[in-house]
Amino acid sequence: MVSDDRHGGEAAHDAMERTQAPTATAAGRPLLEMRGIVKVFPGARALDGVDLEVLPGEVHCLLGQNGAGKSTLIKVLAGAHQPTEGQILIDGEPVTIPSPVAGLKLGVATIYQELDVVDGLTVAENVFLGHELDSAGFSRRREAARRTRELLARLGHGNISPHREVGTLSAAGKQVVSMARALSHDARVIVMDEPSAVLDTGEVATLFRIVRELKAQGVAVVYISHRMEEIRQIGDRITVLKDGRTVAQNLPVASTPTRELIRLMTGRTVEFDFPPRPGVPADAPVVLDVENLGLRGVFEDVSLQVRAGEVVGLAGLVGAGRSEILETLYGARRATTGSVRVDGQRLRPGSVGAAVGAGIGLAPEERKSQGLLLDEPVYRNITLSTFGRFARGGLLDERAERKVAREQVAALDLRPAQVERAARTLSGGNQQKAMLARWLVHGCRVLLLDEPTRGVDVGARAEIYGLVRRLADAGTAVLVVSSEIPEVLGLADRVLVVAEGRVVHQSAATEIDEHRVLDLVMEGSAA
Amino acid sequence: MSARTQRRRLVGATIAASAAVLLAAGCTSNEPPQQEDEGGGGNAAAAAGTENDEPGDEVVIGFSAPAADHGWMGAITSAARAEAENYEDVTLRVAEGTNDVNLQISQIEGFINDKVDAIVLLPFDGAALTEVATKAMDAGIPVINVDREFSSPFAARATILGDNYGMGVSAGTYICEQLGDNPDAVVAEIAGIDSLPLTQDRSQGFKDALADCGLDVDARVAADFTVQGGEAAATNLLQANPKIDAIWNHDDDQGVGVLAAIENAGRDEFFLVGGAGSANMMREIQSGDSVVQATVVYPSTQAADGIKLARLVAHNKSMSDLASVGVPRTTTLYAPVVTADNVDEFMSIGFES
Amino acid sequence: MSEPTIGARTTAGDDIAHRLPGQDAGTAGGHQQAIDSGSRRWSSSGAARNGGLVVALALLCVVGWATAGSRFASLQNVEVILSLAAVTGVLAIGMTFVITAGGIDLSVGSVLGLASVWASTLATQAMAQQYGWVVMVGCALAVGLGAGLVNGVLIAYGRVVAFIATLAMLAAARGLAEIIAGRRTQIVTVDSFLDIFRGDLLGLPVIVWIFLVVAVAGWFLLNRTTFGRRTVAVGGNPEAARLAGINVRRHTLYLYGLTGLAAGIGAVMMLARTTAGSSTNGTLLELDTIAAVVVGGTLLAGGRGTIVGTVLGVLIFSTLTNVFIQNDLNSSVQAVAKGAIIVGAVLLQQWFARRDTATT
Repeated sequence: MVSDDRHGGEAAHDAMERTQAPTATAAGRPLLEMRGIVKVFPGARALDGVDLEVLPGEVHCLLGQNGAGKSTLIKVLAGAHQPTEGQILIDGEPVTIPSPVAGLKLGVATIYQELDVVDGLTVAENVFLGHELDSAGFSRRREAARRTRELLARLGHGNISPHREVGTLSAAGKQVVSMARALSHDARVIVMDEPSAVLDTGEVATLFRIVRELKAQGVAVVYISHRMEEIRQIGDRITVLKDGRTVAQNLPVASTPTRELIRLMTGRTVEFDFPPRPGVPADAPVVLDVENLGLRGVFEDVSLQVRAGEVVGLAGLVGAGRSEILETLYGARRATTGSVRVDGQRLRPGSVGAAVGAGIGLAPEERKSQGLLLDEPVYRNITLSTFGRFARGGLLDERAERKVAREQVAALDLRPAQVERAARTLSGGNQQKAMLARWLVHGCRVLLLDEPTRGVDVGARAEIYGLVRRLADAGTAVLVVSSEIPEVLGLADRVLVVAEGRVVHQSAATEIDEHRVLDLVMEGSAA
Repeated sequence: MSARTQRRRLVGATIAASAAVLLAAGCTSNEPPQQEDEGGGGNAAAAAGTENDEPGDEVVIGFSAPAADHGWMGAITSAARAEAENYEDVTLRVAEGTNDVNLQISQIEGFINDKVDAIVLLPFDGAALTEVATKAMDAGIPVINVDREFSSPFAARATILGDNYGMGVSAGTYICEQLGDNPDAVVAEIAGIDSLPLTQDRSQGFKDALADCGLDVDARVAADFTVQGGEAAATNLLQANPKIDAIWNHDDDQGVGVLAAIENAGRDEFFLVGGAGSANMMREIQSGDSVVQATVVYPSTQAADGIKLARLVAHNKSMSDLASVGVPRTTTLYAPVVTADNVDEFMSIGFES
Repeated sequence: MSEPTIGARTTAGDDIAHRLPGQDAGTAGGHQQAIDSGSRRWSSSGAARNGGLVVALALLCVVGWATAGSRFASLQNVEVILSLAAVTGVLAIGMTFVITAGGIDLSVGSVLGLASVWASTLATQAMAQQYGWVVMVGCALAVGLGAGLVNGVLIAYGRVVAFIATLAMLAAARGLAEIIAGRRTQIVTVDSFLDIFRGDLLGLPVIVWIFLVVAVAGWFLLNRTTFGRRTVAVGGNPEAARLAGINVRRHTLYLYGLTGLAAGIGAVMMLARTTAGSSTNGTLLELDTIAAVVVGGTLLAGGRGTIVGTVLGVLIFSTLTNVFIQNDLNSSVQAVAKGAIIVGAVLLQQWFARRDTATT
């Protein structure tokens, strides 16, 4: 076991964890093995060496934060993506999975989060979709119904009629249909991508019953989730992914503490030198003042203040409401209660324009889908919030735009230093720099950073940290959200811990350690 | 503060939008002098007056025709209404014009249920309405089929047809008369929608008539019965043919566009023969200084004829100028050529396109 | 065997851990090679795409010249082709903006019809006799703008899908035009209007001038103004545009107002060309317009638009019809060729674009 005493102080642990003792349950040959899987997309390395080993009849949990590479991994496994490097073995034999159909033939079926059932067809038609039972072109509906009934009974849902239209079923029912389809292919490995996300509590219990049934029948289940309590209930062994890599493999569920798992998911695997904190003078003016902000059903009663030159961090797990807090105070969501003031001026709720006008900037979590115009040149991305300033009577002065963009590119060491290049071709770190450059040009008073180093490779992270601190030193109020607790602790002057949509703790970053944050986070989410 | 400016701008935009709508509304509509007598043809015919016109038993006639999306079709319905009003013994039930075959079928079924005395039907599609028309006949209600023929002879008591082939023949013959001594004359044709049988019939008749005097169609374009289509087709036609002697334009609705194109091009070395017989074209002919010398009538009084025949059938009468007993089964109307010589007598049946 | 191992694959990261943040760490991640493949200049690819259209248009001209000789290759014929392209061209310029922003406007043809009818009613013409042609033009533009803003409000603030909102307008505007016109063709008799818009200016028809002015203005608006920049941003990534502080809804409203205005201008031109306001004016023009815009290289999905491409697209279709009529070929053959041109031009564009990415 990894000992707890290694988490103290400035959170500096080795990148390499020690090899653990073999698990007791491990017996027999692995049904499925993935070795050193690498998947490179243009501009991003989604998987960077993933190992996975699944035994027959086990529930193998795949753990990792958003962006850790879980989705890419299951697409590789399903045959939807081809790995750039690495090997997949089934029953010890190397295989290639060129297409989803080939995956099904090999006995690997995937239940996607967005359930891929056809609402307008019946249960039986969905189960045999793509491999309809027919003789001489005539569909054998009775046979299909009979076999569907059998499969549903196997899943403990004999009560669902094969003739029912799938659109009339609940999400849980659709999930059962999806699983029946997997079984109809004689699947031996069923991958479930966050299956509980669409279910309520009662339905989750049913799901677990089904998973246990499958397990008893020798089917291996790869169960993807970041909900710790579910893994405790259903899992046998755990593999943890982070930044596209396997950081821990085959941890026995029974003997691995939750805190250790969270640390593996969120913690540093490499050490960073965070820029020094000069300290915020007590008389620094409050720039951002958030009072009792709430968004019904998501978070409530959030009050915080950020002074000029201060970096405030919001720590917490995915789903705790961190991103929503940022988006709401930015006006991208309309707050149901509370107020946001910048330099004492109250902002109109639900108006991004008002927030930007008042000097707030947001670098969103999903840079590609929320931040950038990927096919547009870098300089236009940098001036996206400010191009109006480069215009006289509506006519743009692109030369001036490019000049300003070039200055930013040089100042931030954005590479390659070509402002005409399409944003799509930049790496994650350089895309983030472009986002920061946008708000630097804007000259904003408040900068909101949501997961500033997500998808940013290790090397560029230190640069981003340096930049954030430089911005703060220049008098900007910075609010950072990160799932990586050491990042929050290392970067921020002050830390707020968010759990279950509430701020559960607030203190100077130096007064709290990773250990304590983990405890606070868990108290909130263990309920 | 910036929030407020933004709201103010939005309000501004809304005001601008409403102002635009109001300004447009200020341009007002067509109300004032647009009250010409609809379907004058009916009046003219009634004035002729025969003993058949004397009042008889009360007759309820159901009338159904396609949507009046075209000047000619509009004239069809208004002429039918006007004709019915000439007879105090006729009650006309007009179903809303429709291009939906199913709706038209249900309209006829409604007439059958109401036990009307006769039905005048200009079907959107002859074949599709045949069955319901047969049903009406079987129920003892005589059906008068107008313009588009049913696919079964049992579906109608009497049929009144315009003569598309005859239109082509009339236009061709007129052009032959004018150009007959010049075998090298260039004749052009601006057709309607090429895929329609009626267009093909008109073109065939035109070709046959021209061949009779040794002429042929040297250039041919197709428009789409719309003004814009006529304008575009004619513009290209004129450009492609620097010298033309005669043009036949199938349809006077698109003729407005054809004339605009001719004026654009500043051409007048040819004469133009129209088709269908709109009041516009007749006025052009009347003026005497237009390239339009003639137009071939495709009577918009067909349905009015249908009303008259329906009444006769219901009254069990015969056509007064025929010796035979009973209304004839099929009447194919003549496609006369209107020229400066006779335009005054046709003016009354010219429809406003 | 299943040995539980932790951190087995982090050796690469270990190396980086010892670097100082100030050092050139960006190249250490090993990602650079994946990035360099796309180092093309943005603007050159646009020129290449238009290159395909120029080739297509040139080919058409060669065919026209070869088959119809001087009748085709005359200044007069160029004037004819431009005149016939003018109305569709103006609509297509407006449509380029909406499509670039990721929308669609199916109602332009109907709105043109409505505006042409409204601007030529007896009442409007009577006012125009008294106060001049400005009344008719103002009426057409106001009707077009009004209809466009209605579309815009529905789409931007009512959150109706653009396809549906403008489809509804397509039906409603045509119906309203029929009601106002009473399904009659309204002949324009206002001499001041006809004299100006049916006339020539410096040897070119006035409506061709209108087309050229709208095209140039459209080019400036799309490429050189904040309005154009917002349009591309909204089409390229509406969420990013919104989070960057752009008022996406208000801009959407303006965009549909713009296409409506273009339809109003088109109505004036149509009135001039045909001398008649008819509820059938503009029938099916929305499809010609969208075809020209898409063939021109504007992405239907939004985020990229080209006015030059749109103008070329419109000219290709106009020239095609002209070449066919010069050769006295029937309309069915034309329709087939039109389909072939749409597919051919798009394939050619893709080929140019691929070659462009492959060589640079």
